[in-house]
Amino acid sequence: MAPRSAVFCLSLYLLVLVLVLSASGTVGVSTSSDDDLVAELESLQSKSPSGVIHLDDRLISRFLTSVKIPRPYHLIIFFDASSLRSKSELHLPQLRSEFAIVSESFAAHHRGLPSASKLFFCDIEFGESQSSFSNFGVNSLPHVRLVSPTTRSLSDSDSMDASAFSRLADAMAEFVESKTKIPVGPILHPQPVSPRQQAVLLLALLIAAPFIIKKVLAGETLLHDSRVWMAGAVFVYFFSVSGSMHNIIRNMPMMMTDRDGRPVFFYQGSGMQLGAEGFIVGFLYTLVGLVLAIVTHGLVRLKSVTVQRGMMLAAMVVVYWAVGKVISLDNWKTGYSVHAYWPSSWK
Amino acid sequence: MVAPVEPKPGGTLRNAFGGVLGFFILLLIGVLAFSIRLFSVIKYESVIHEFDPYFNYRVTQFLSKNGIYEFWNWFDDRTWYPLGRVIGGTVYPGLTLTAGTMWWILNSLNIPLSVETVCVFTAPVFSAFAAWATYFLTKEVKGIGSGLTAATLLALVPSYISRSVAGSYDNEAVAIFALIFTFFLYIKTLNTGSLFYATLNALSYFYMVCSWGGYTFIINLIPMHALLCIVTGRYSSRLYIAYAPLVVLGTLLAALVPVVGFNAVMTSEHFASFLVFIIIHVVAFVYFIKGILSPKMFKVAITLVLTVGIAVCIAVIAILVALVASSPTKGWSGRSLSLLDPTYASKYIPIIASVSEHQPPTWPSYFMDINILAFLVPAGIIACFLPLSDASSFVVLYLVTSVYFSGVMVRLMLVLAPAACILSGIALSEAFDVLTRSVKLQLVKLLEGPLSNAGDTKDENPTAQNDVLKADKQVAANNKTEDVKERPSKKNRKKDKENTEKAPVKSHNEKRLLVLPLEASAIAIILLVVLGSLYVIHCVWAAAEAYSAPSIVLTSRSHDGLHVFDDFREAYAWLRHNTEVDDKVASWWDYGYQTTAMANRTVIVDNNTWNNTHIATVGTAMSSPEKAAWEIFNSLDVKYVLVVFGGLVGYPSDDINKFLWMVRIGGGVFPHIKEPDYLRDGQYRIDAQATPTMLNCLMYKLSYYRFVETDGKGFDRVRRTEIGKKHFKLSHFEEVFTTHHWMVRIYKLKPPKNRMKGKTKKPKPTSKPLSGARRDGSTKKNPWQ
Repeated sequence: MAPRSAVFCLSLYLLVLVLVLSASGTVGVSTSSDDDLVAELESLQSKSPSGVIHLDDRLISRFLTSVKIPRPYHLIIFFDASSLRSKSELHLPQLRSEFAIVSESFAAHHRGLPSASKLFFCDIEFGESQSSFSNFGVNSLPHVRLVSPTTRSLSDSDSMDASAFSRLADAMAEFVESKTKIPVGPILHPQPVSPRQQAVLLLALLIAAPFIIKKVLAGETLLHDSRVWMAGAVFVYFFSVSGSMHNIIRNMPMMMTDRDGRPVFFYQGSGMQLGAEGFIVGFLYTLVGLVLAIVTHGLVRLKSVTVQRGMMLAAMVVVYWAVGKVISLDNWKTGYSVHAYWPSSWK
Repeated sequence: MVAPVEPKPGGTLRNAFGGVLGFFILLLIGVLAFSIRLFSVIKYESVIHEFDPYFNYRVTQFLSKNGIYEFWNWFDDRTWYPLGRVIGGTVYPGLTLTAGTMWWILNSLNIPLSVETVCVFTAPVFSAFAAWATYFLTKEVKGIGSGLTAATLLALVPSYISRSVAGSYDNEAVAIFALIFTFFLYIKTLNTGSLFYATLNALSYFYMVCSWGGYTFIINLIPMHALLCIVTGRYSSRLYIAYAPLVVLGTLLAALVPVVGFNAVMTSEHFASFLVFIIIHVVAFVYFIKGILSPKMFKVAITLVLTVGIAVCIAVIAILVALVASSPTKGWSGRSLSLLDPTYASKYIPIIASVSEHQPPTWPSYFMDINILAFLVPAGIIACFLPLSDASSFVVLYLVTSVYFSGVMVRLMLVLAPAACILSGIALSEAFDVLTRSVKLQLVKLLEGPLSNAGDTKDENPTAQNDVLKADKQVAANNKTEDVKERPSKKNRKKDKENTEKAPVKSHNEKRLLVLPLEASAIAIILLVVLGSLYVIHCVWAAAEAYSAPSIVLTSRSHDGLHVFDDFREAYAWLRHNTEVDDKVASWWDYGYQTTAMANRTVIVDNNTWNNTHIATVGTAMSSPEKAAWEIFNSLDVKYVLVVFGGLVGYPSDDINKFLWMVRIGGGVFPHIKEPDYLRDGQYRIDAQATPTMLNCLMYKLSYYRFVETDGKGFDRVRRTEIGKKHFKLSHFEEVFTTHHWMVRIYKLKPPKNRMKGKTKKPKPTSKPLSGARRDGSTKKNPWQ
């Protein structure tokens, strides 16, 4: 009984061995190069701190165009152009760093799992890989594309909706998940303050707390000085009437340059304003009020009549000039001039 | 701060005279506020304006006809067919109830005004009330003179006029009055410590909650002020009386309004008030303990109380934070968030960012909307700090928050306007006070010299002396009232310091009158008057020209005189008189409120854009070819389709110009509608270069059907081009009515065709200019042609 079973086991073992070998033999031809590619991608990935592989024309052909379909991986490619990084309206540097965050989050979520080698994050630069840009058919930035294993022509790959870029990393992760069905996992935003800094800040706060509380109880903080509040209120007023919120929301520059390279501070047309323009007019708005306040509350307390007279005349000239300036600027900008409305029979 | 009562009989007479004069000035301010808003009635006619007011008007009509209980339970089946809308639970009822009550009172007095007339004049009437409320508020802060000036400025301020001309029957019309009046009652309570005013304050807050979603501004501003007072050591029992009843009663009352309901305790917008409510109790407790214990015992007690109080506070804050953090948007609505983080909306909520009144304003907007007040406000801020009282700190806080918010959204300029008027009123009044005083006193001195022996001036001198005395006394009295007000909070240690600071100023005041040189003052007065007249001229112009167009009746002035375009009402009247009561009318959502109110017909979508899918369905139908559109409309039981077309007279806000939005919104829900199909190389055009999809969509066909018959060329005066497809027929719709200037065109859906045997199989090229893209539509012969 025993020898027979041993023979049986052996034959079964051999059979399995042969089966396994033959299976690996038939499949191995195609997978060995795939494995190589994946391994190569992984080694490239490990070189980059954020796990984003930098591609060029050669690597594109190695990993994408010359590989048999289906490829064993997805590639998500961020199209970058160093010449356009300085254009603030494209937000390329910011989007690139968000892309790196998504890549890191993905790596952290899939560390040690087989799914880690299913998706690779890559970027490509316009200056060194122009032909790849044309192969992809990319003619505007920012642009993110996903090449799935079954994509044949590069220009058929899925591109991310341009309107979604405003939502940064979350939108990129959503895009990846919807196209690849591989979850990216929670986005790991870098902490604005590192844990060590946090500890130091907390310590400083703890040490300072008794002093602060003592000051507050004694009523000697800046908060108890009404002049600070007054300056703050006037500043907020100045900040708002100068249209700074508009500049922040719309990302308006302080000034532009015209075709001859001369700086332009004022923009004609009421829907838009430049930064400097807003601050200039905001300053004029505030100036008039401050001068009036000085005359009403400060000047009356002066003893010297001559000084009073001189300063009042100066104040009136300044106020007259500032109001006139704002009216003329407004007229120039919007075409509106202060004019009376008369009944038609009076004309 | 009422002028001091003088012991001399001449003084009381003068005071009485001043009082009567002040009363008449106030009356005139009311008349001014009312009458400057009548330009729209005089230039056009007594008619409700624009879109939303028509809905409010219709609700008011319903209320006046059926009574309040019916109104409360009103389910409106005339709109959002087939869904309907629960009106009673989804509107802010304040405006409607106000106008309904006014109508009811007038009718009970046998003054037979129509509901429409009452609605048209509600906004001007409440503007007068708002001006009076401003007077009371500013009077509490800086006295009668500032109050009158501020009220005059508010009566005229363009930003407020834009929302309250006669006919502009919208929530803001009554809400701004409610806002100012609530603030006035808060300040009044703060100054008097009277529970009577505190209760009134809660009721006024309730009225504000009924009227406008902007009530969240109040319920955040007042806690902020209370907190500020506590932090800067200005806590007093008056503050407690002003704040605590408002939170308790106000929240309870707010929860009674169906549209707010449990939001009053559940959403983060209201949490600040609860937090401050807790803090003020802790502080009040500390002060109470302090009052009953000796200083030494107090030292012991305060550590105990503080630890307990802080522990409770931390626990409650933790609960609040947990509550807030558990909701996805952190408990804040998108609009509120976009106020705190101005870049929020542009990043995440395009639908809020796209609305024109949610744009951030540029500096010319301030010049247009508050005009010269923009110059005066800083002076007002500084005047409020000299000296700082509870009331003036509130006004400054109101200004600072509202000016910041107005910087984020141009629409909130409306909230800034009262604050700007109050502070400018204070600034102007103080400036005039100083300057006229200088002129008057020095003029007397000047005249006294050469004319001292002339008998005529004898009358004048006593009064002038009297004025000197009075001015002196007023300054002293001001300081005295200041002291009276400070007294309850004198327990604070630093108050003593402030008073010692004030003492030399006081003695200085009594020693020497504060005057400026005579001639400079005279010139300055003239300059200020010129500045003021600029304001008046600008406001009258703005009221007459900029903000009075009702947009339901249009006018244009050409060389041969005035043209009036009354096509909208013509079309709605046609619908009312020529269609069945239960017929459904489809149009783009802009015209929904008007159709239900003026034509009394059921609409598919309206301006209350609560259901995006439904709007997208209509958008899809308008963007589809005729047959597909017919099927969509037929499935919605639509009988008539209404389009607005401006190509003949050059009316730019017509449906063709809004069409890309229909495509976008439609495409957002039904992906087979794609925007690029309607654009040639990214350009929107309707001339010969337009795409076939564009030329075959329903909106194009309904707008330009038979258009070529008008001038033979089909020249569109809005797009300034000849249209792409001129001769075509309609297979599924028939034109039933086109208004005088072709601005509104109404089509009827043809009834479903009878099936024709044998014809359905054979695709046959027909003479109908239907698109090649339509595969099945052209296969059926239309029996109606």
